[in-house]
Amino acid sequence: MSIGFFDRRSTVAAPNFNRFCVPPAAIAVHLAIGQVYAFSTFNIPLTRLIGLNEAAPGDWNQKQVVWIFSIAIAVLGSSAALFGRWVERVGPRLSMFVAALCFAGGFMVAAIGIRLHALWLLYAGYGVLGGCGLGIGYISPVSTLIKWFPDRPGMATGMAIMGFGGGALIAAPLSVMLMAHFKSVTSNGVLQAFVTMGAIYFLYMMIGVFAVRVPPPEWKPAGWVDSAKPKSLVTTAHVAVKLAWRTPQFWLLWGVLCMNVTAGIGVLGVASPMIQEIFTGRVTAASAAGFVGLISLFNMGGRFFWASISDYIGRRATYMVFFLLGILLYSTVPSIGYGGHIGMFVAAFCIILSMYGGGFATIPAYLRDVFGTMEVGAIHGRLLTAWSVAGVLGPVLISNLRDYQIEHGQPKAQAYSVTMYVMCGMLLIGFLCNLAMRPVDAKYHHRSP
Amino acid sequence: MKGRLALLWLIVGVPLAWGVFKTLQNAMKLFQ
Repeated sequence: MSIGFFDRRSTVAAPNFNRFCVPPAAIAVHLAIGQVYAFSTFNIPLTRLIGLNEAAPGDWNQKQVVWIFSIAIAVLGSSAALFGRWVERVGPRLSMFVAALCFAGGFMVAAIGIRLHALWLLYAGYGVLGGCGLGIGYISPVSTLIKWFPDRPGMATGMAIMGFGGGALIAAPLSVMLMAHFKSVTSNGVLQAFVTMGAIYFLYMMIGVFAVRVPPPEWKPAGWVDSAKPKSLVTTAHVAVKLAWRTPQFWLLWGVLCMNVTAGIGVLGVASPMIQEIFTGRVTAASAAGFVGLISLFNMGGRFFWASISDYIGRRATYMVFFLLGILLYSTVPSIGYGGHIGMFVAAFCIILSMYGGGFATIPAYLRDVFGTMEVGAIHGRLLTAWSVAGVLGPVLISNLRDYQIEHGQPKAQAYSVTMYVMCGMLLIGFLCNLAMRPVDAKYHHRSP
Repeated sequence: MKGRLALLWLIVGVPLAWGVFKTLQNAMKLFQ
C-alpha cells in the first residue's frame, strides 16, 4: 500500500537528514501566521471602504472592525486546545497544510466580505476560519521541534515562536505597501491586499509543508546522552493530554502564562498613547510609532534569547527572572515617568516586552520538562487558552484603569501609575504559581499497554 | 543537503531581515 504525501510516515527523515532544516519549516509557518499581530494596519482602511479617504455614511466603525482581531485571537486559543490531539496524531505536515488552507481561506472569505460589504463575513472568514489556521499553525511544529532537539528544546521552539513575533514586522510594512499599490479612484486597496496576502501566505506556508520532517522513533542527536543527573522538574515519563489538564501542574503553568502575557499584552495595546501621554509635548505620534516598533523588536528577539537561556538555567529559573525583574521594572516605571527619563522608560519597556515574548517561547519546553514529549503539542494547545483570556484581560484592565484614574481627577501623565502597580500584583501571582511547581505525581504517568 | 539547508534559511531569513530593517527605520524616529 502506498503512503500518501500527507501521511505521517512519509515525513520520517532519512538517516543523513540535517535536523537544522526543520526550524526554517516551522519559522515559515509562524512568520505567516504572525501577520495577525499587524492586523491593526487594516483597521482604518476597513472603516473607509465606501468613503475611501474618510469614513462615509454606511461605513463600518472602529469598534465593529476591532472585533475581527479579537475573534481571531480567541479562536486561536480555542482551536489550539480543540485540535491539539488531532495535530499530534496526523503529524506536522498535514496540520501545517490545513493551517495554510484555513489561514489563506480566511483572507479570501474576508475579501468577499469586503466586496459585498458584509462584516459578518470578515468575522467568520478572518476571525473564525483564519483563527483556526492560527491555532493549528501555532502548535503544529512544536512537538516535532522538541523531538528533533532534545538537547536544546528551548532554543528550537524559541526559533519558531520568534517567527510569530517576526511575522508582524513583515506584515505591517507589507500591508501598507500592498494597499498603496492597489489604491485607485474606486478602491482604497484593502480588498486586493487581502487577496494578495492570502495567496502569498498560502505559498509561504507550503514551504513548511514540504520541508518538515519528523525524526525516526527513538532518534537522538549523534553523540548526545541524556544527563544522568536528575533535574527536579525534568521528567523522563510521559503524561497524556487527557490526564495532563487534570494535574495541578497544568493549571499552575496556565496561571504562569496567563499572568506573564496579561502584563505584556496590556502594554502592547496602549504603548503609543501611553508614551505620548506620560511625556506630553516631548514625544510626537511619529516617535511613539518608533517606540512601538522598538518594543516589537524586543518582543521578537526575547523569544529566541530567553528560550535559549532557559536550556542552561532551567525553565523555572527563567520564569522567576521574568516575574521578579518584571515586578522591579513595573514598580519603578511611574518614578521614571515622573522624573522625565525617556531613555530609561524606553529601556524598561524593551526589557518587559522581551520577557513577554520569552514567556511564550519558553512555555513549550517547560511543558516538555513537566509532562514529557508524548503529547506535548496537544498539551501546549490547551495551555494557549491562557493567551485567549490574557488577550481580553490585559487590554481591558489597562484601559479601564486609565479611564478610571482620569475620571477621578488624575492628570493623563500619571494615569498609568496604578495600572503599573496592578501589573506588579499580577506578576506576583505568576511568581507564586511558578514557585509552587513540583513534578507530576507518578499516578498520571503514561504506561505502555 | 547543505544547499537545501542554506536555501531554507535564506527563504525565512531574507523576509525577516527586511521586516527588522523596516521596523528599525521606524524606530529611529524615536531618537530624532
